Amino acid sequence: MHRIKLACVIDDDPIYIFAIKRLFKRKNFTSNFIIYNNGNEAFKGIKERLKNGEQLPDIILLDINMPVMDGWQFLEDYKKLKIEKKIPIYVTSSSIKKSDVEKAQGDNFVRNYVNKPINKENLDFLIEDFKKVDL
Amino acid sequence: MQDLNKLNIISNEIHDFEFINAIENSLAIGSWEFNLKTNTLKWSTVTKKIHEVPDDYKPDVETGLNFYKEGLHRERITSIFSNAILTNTSFDDEFIIITAKGKEKWVRSIGYPVFENDTCVLVKGVFQDITEKTQKNIEISYKESLFRSIFENSITGMAIVSLEGKWLKVNNSICKIFGYSEAELLDLNFIELTHNDDKHIGLEEIKLMIEGKLDNFQVDKRYINKNGNIIHCQLSTTIVRDLDNEPVHFVANINDITKSKLAKQKIKNLLAISSKQNERLLNFAHIVSHNLRSHAGNLDMLIGLKKEDYPDAVDNEYFPHIEKAVKNLNETIANLNDVAIHNIVEVENLEPLNLLEYVNNAISNIKALHVVKKAKIKIDINKTIKVKGIPAYLDSIIINLLTNAIKYKNPDEDPKIKLIASKDDKNIILEVIDNGIGIDLKKHGEKLFGMYNVFHHNKDSRGLGLFITKNQIEAIGGKIEVKSKVGKGTTFRLFFKKTNYA
Repeated sequence: MHRIKLACVIDDDPIYIFAIKRLFKRKNFTSNFIIYNNGNEAFKGIKERLKNGEQLPDIILLDINMPVMDGWQFLEDYKKLKIEKKIPIYVTSSSIKKSDVEKAQGDNFVRNYVNKPINKENLDFLIEDFKKVDL
Repeated sequence: MQDLNKLNIISNEIHDFEFINAIENSLAIGSWEFNLKTNTLKWSTVTKKIHEVPDDYKPDVETGLNFYKEGLHRERITSIFSNAILTNTSFDDEFIIITAKGKEKWVRSIGYPVFENDTCVLVKGVFQDITEKTQKNIEISYKESLFRSIFENSITGMAIVSLEGKWLKVNNSICKIFGYSEAELLDLNFIELTHNDDKHIGLEEIKLMIEGKLDNFQVDKRYINKNGNIIHCQLSTTIVRDLDNEPVHFVANINDITKSKLAKQKIKNLLAISSKQNERLLNFAHIVSHNLRSHAGNLDMLIGLKKEDYPDAVDNEYFPHIEKAVKNLNETIANLNDVAIHNIVEVENLEPLNLLEYVNNAISNIKALHVVKKAKIKIDINKTIKVKGIPAYLDSIIINLLTNAIKYKNPDEDPKIKLIASKDDKNIILEVIDNGIGIDLKKHGEKLFGMYNVFHHNKDSRGLGLFITKNQIEAIGGKIEVKSKVGKGTTFRLFFKKTNYA
């Protein structure tokens, strides 16, 4: 079974966070999460972890529409951290705007775009895709 | 001149006679003489020539008068001729004669009576062919009246304007445009009537025209009519010059375009309003569909999780209803998204698509469905036909119509579907003909392509298919029409834009 040590969820929707935790646990994907509610929080948190040599996540689920700092801005700042570990980032959004999907797919740091809500198919797709990541 | 040279001018009466004859010839003026004592009429050679009679012709008063055109002309010459004899009054008038050869000629006839002892003894006269001159006069007066009628009755305002901008002559239309009578207008000038902000318009051109560097110019400018209202006009001004090329006056043509200008403005405003509203509507649709999607998706997700985590908690009457309601909500939102997306297509994105390929592809896509229903599909589409469209739309349109044709089949008959393509000047027409249950167009015609109209109690009816189909075909510049007979079948006609090389 493919199991990861730590997942990072950057999202402002508590219901989504609740559900993704639940689903990842059930899928036996992971039980350890770090949760950030917007891009700025996430950027600061990850920077802090990097500085303190703490464990970095193995996957990042990134929402686009968030208060304070949105997903795109987070991505820009994240790139500047120059983290050695290549963490697959999944952009997760309920946006069906073509421009959002294309932007995500055109970004080198983004592994894939996953539509919200996270239903059975989307979850399976995500996990299957993650398995193919060359870690 | 040659004849004149031959003459010995300082000579006697005989020579004088020859001289007169020569003058007569060169001026086409003849003479005549009526002797009342002998009752004889003499015509000179030229007079005979004008009458087109031979040189040895012997006229008399009766035959002479009969050359005058019957009716007015003959009555008149007879009366003034008698008058000359009776009252010693000379005459000089113009008449029409009919020559011996039957030609109509205009002549000037002059007569001087000679009296002896209160009795007229002789009438001498001159006879001149003035046909050519008269004809010209008639032509000129015809042209003049033609011009006058054009000027007076033109629906375009026409005016002759002095170099200083004073109205010299105006027609009825100008009076109508400005609301002034002709007399009032002639007291005003061009500039006075011009809208304050437009007084500068055309000044440069007028200078150039007076300097001889420009013949005509056209501008749009505003005037103020008698009621003080602004009128928008189209003005065309031409300069008229005399034979020495000196400017004489202007001819102005003025068209009142206020109505069309206002109508245009109105259309522009309406367009602005409707595009703004359309934009808002799209934004609204996006926001609603996006936000609703997240919330409804979450609900769905939570219900799924709860069902698995707490099987006991869902084992009650409420849960299945909640589950169904959430499922319906999600479906509705998905449909809403379909519609919202379909409304934003840019025409530039249309590409030529091979119709036959798309039809074949659609048929293989719905294989599962039509095999079950034993549908027979006949295709009559030339493989070279291409239509303008968006691949996803064309797929969806064809699949939708095929699915409908199979879904709404006659209960006692296997579905038979024909797909026929044809061309007209502008369109490619695809007909989808089925032998299904048909639609009562009298009852449902108007609502057929509306959202959420379901006409059949069929388990798969969503009531959205035709709405989306109509949206999609219209989004790619086409249209859809329907003909149907209840119990016999339905024909949908799709009109696609032709590609340039179809």
